[in-house]
Amino acid sequence: MASTEPRISAEHDDAAHLARVEATWTDAPGLWGWLTTVDHKRIGKRYIATALTFFLLAGLEALAMRVQLARPQNGFLGPDKYNQFFTMHGTTMMFLFAVPVMTAWGLYLVPQMIGTRNLAFPRLNAYGYWVYLIGACFIYVMFLLNTGTDVGWFAYVPLAGPQFSPGKRVDVWAQMVTFTEIAALIGAVELIVTIFKQRAPGMSLNRMPLYVWSMLVVAFMIVFAMPAVAVASTFLLAMDRLVGTQFFNPAEGGDPLLWQHMFWFFGHPEVYIIFIPGLGFVSSIIATFSRRPVFGYVAMVLALIATAFVGFGLWVHHMFATPIPQLGQSFFTAASTMIAIPSGVQIFCWIATLWLGKPVFRTPLLYALGFIVIFVIGGLTGVMIASVPFDLQVHDTYFIVAHFHYVLIGGAVFPLLGAITYWFPKVTGRLASERLGKVAFWMIFTGMHVTFFPMHFLGLMGMTRRVYTYPTSVGWGGLNLLSTTGAFIIAGGVMVFLANLATSWRRGLPAGADPWGADTLEWGIASPPPPWNHALIPIVQGRAGLWSRTADAPVVTGLDEGRREVLVTTLMDAEPDNRQESPGPTIIPLLVALATGFMLILLVFTFQAVWIGAIPLGLALFAWAWPRHPEDAWTGHREAAP
Amino acid sequence: MTPERRASVDVSGLPDITFGHRNLVWWGTTAFMAIEGTTLAMCAATYLYLRRNFGALPPERVAVPGLTAANAEVGLMLLSFVPIVLLRKAAQRKELNAVRILLLVATVFGAAFAVLRWFELMALHVRWDANAYGSSAWLVLIVHGTLLVAEVGELLVFSLIGWTGRWEEKHFPDACDLGFYWFFMVLSWLPLYAMVFLLPRVM
Repeated sequence: MASTEPRISAEHDDAAHLARVEATWTDAPGLWGWLTTVDHKRIGKRYIATALTFFLLAGLEALAMRVQLARPQNGFLGPDKYNQFFTMHGTTMMFLFAVPVMTAWGLYLVPQMIGTRNLAFPRLNAYGYWVYLIGACFIYVMFLLNTGTDVGWFAYVPLAGPQFSPGKRVDVWAQMVTFTEIAALIGAVELIVTIFKQRAPGMSLNRMPLYVWSMLVVAFMIVFAMPAVAVASTFLLAMDRLVGTQFFNPAEGGDPLLWQHMFWFFGHPEVYIIFIPGLGFVSSIIATFSRRPVFGYVAMVLALIATAFVGFGLWVHHMFATPIPQLGQSFFTAASTMIAIPSGVQIFCWIATLWLGKPVFRTPLLYALGFIVIFVIGGLTGVMIASVPFDLQVHDTYFIVAHFHYVLIGGAVFPLLGAITYWFPKVTGRLASERLGKVAFWMIFTGMHVTFFPMHFLGLMGMTRRVYTYPTSVGWGGLNLLSTTGAFIIAGGVMVFLANLATSWRRGLPAGADPWGADTLEWGIASPPPPWNHALIPIVQGRAGLWSRTADAPVVTGLDEGRREVLVTTLMDAEPDNRQESPGPTIIPLLVALATGFMLILLVFTFQAVWIGAIPLGLALFAWAWPRHPEDAWTGHREAAP
Repeated sequence: MTPERRASVDVSGLPDITFGHRNLVWWGTTAFMAIEGTTLAMCAATYLYLRRNFGALPPERVAVPGLTAANAEVGLMLLSFVPIVLLRKAAQRKELNAVRILLLVATVFGAAFAVLRWFELMALHVRWDANAYGSSAWLVLIVHGTLLVAEVGELLVFSLIGWTGRWEEKHFPDACDLGFYWFFMVLSWLPLYAMVFLLPRVM
């Protein structure tokens, strides 16, 4: 009878082992391999590239808006185009860029960082990406056909309802939400299960890298936040528009405020879903470039979890201008102020890390420091607008626009650019230019303040958001021109950033496995990483990963090399528990995604799509589940592997 | 760093078929139950939030929902725990014959729930587009109904796999998880049933 306990052995033949692993885990070459891959790194890379493409599109939309606002009574974009542009900008940044790019980095990095070969459900991961791509392309195709949504990224009813927004613009937006929610929820499930059950032996929960903690916390937030917007947009808003339900129609007992509650119950945690991964990036970067582990590990983890919990109790602060009972206002003011505590704990821990370490000011660290500066400014204005009387004065003005751009660019974009710079050598095997990297950083950092700091004053002067123009007499022209100038400085910085990546990808110096001398496990793999990640699953000896690894560190052997297999470990202590087959490449996730896309897109136009679309979707799902290897059929006599 | 010879932990003796929380699919199922549970909670919140806009529940000129189909469904659901518990036990003992028979029994139960759900919709005595009360009652029944339909679809596929000689050892944990999901599907319905069918009778 086979033992169920891991055995300690003393020898291992690395070269022959590697050849067998390579044969098992390598994808088919060419386009077919590209379409059928279930490698989390290949999917992660295309996810990141797609999200960054939408980041650039949203940036171009922002530039167009800034050109329109650069001087009074400008005619660059008319009111209808302007409405479409600001809606597409916000929608793209939040739904098509920020959440996908953060999830995508997690899907790319986490398996390498925790020492496993692939995500828990590789085919589902491929499906999630394809669904996201189809939904994102759908809303942009409709935008090009002059059916761009024009009701703002939070699509308030009654404006977004059937009475005030006839046509299909809002329906397209609502269905885009469905696509992206499916993708985000799949990403969250992948991350939770992989982090819980596939950590390398020895990586107990209290040894997990802070970045992995941040992705675990975010994944749980996605699970509990995203269903609210899925219900609100797919079932309530879309059905009010498509089949005449009355959820938001006050004449029949409906309630427009229901939309605001449902949307912001998702929308506020969404902000943390975007920036908590950024906190993970910053922790990784600061540890590496301070040459020491992050100060206050336990406090940092508790702060992440506290942020997530409190983040679910803030949504009503987006609704202070609606009739909320005074007790409710007080509660949400208190909660909104309280979120500063875990944020502050983390900021002080990072400062202590830098203080106690020997900081090396490479480009990724500049982005981490830039994050601290910008995010603290955004956080301070956040505390200001947590106060109801102040919020009522600046509600829907450019003060709010300034605040949330400080929070989101500071909290998400700066850590992201830092992360791209930091992991670029891992992804490509090449080092990027430090000089160009620093030029890009300073341009983006300067441009950010030139663009958004004046908006605080514009808001206090009374300029409301989403106005497509303003008269000369109000005196907003100068500050708006300054803001537009800043936007072009940011755009220039982004161009330099991308040019640096493009040239370095082709001509950069070889990076080697660990150019930064970092601690987390992915730096123990070749750059770029092979399809199987770690040739031998490492056994983790301490919280500091590679820094605490001894020269004779033990490894895992005995995983089946003839089939794709992952080691499953226990939840708390990551002790080896069992081995499970990891599905290989297949075209089926793409087919199921196409069938999903067909049904959801048709549903924008007719409710009959539910029946029509169910046929191809059902067939595709059947193909997914159907076993294709009759020789593997159960005979009832098979014993466990010896 | 991969030195040619060093200490290692050999995991080749560990099992490759496991049940419950040792299995990755169980965790995936649990995570999706959390998502669907939250979705159902949001539907219930919608129903209760909109209820405040009506002086009475159901609103004037709308009859209270009929109970026959709903009660029958709840009764059948509770009864279905018997074959589902047996299914889970048979799957854990890897008894293919018992498993595929019980999968068929479960499919019949699931199909009965889906048919009864249609009669429940009719028993609401209000259309989805009549008023917000009707919209939210239909919402709750339809969204939970998608769980029923998905489960029946999955049971059909697994029954087919079981009866066409393509059943693999790894399908036993899957069958066990189908039973696990069944508990969620039934237990999540009970408070929703009370809210939609019983609450209007007492308020």
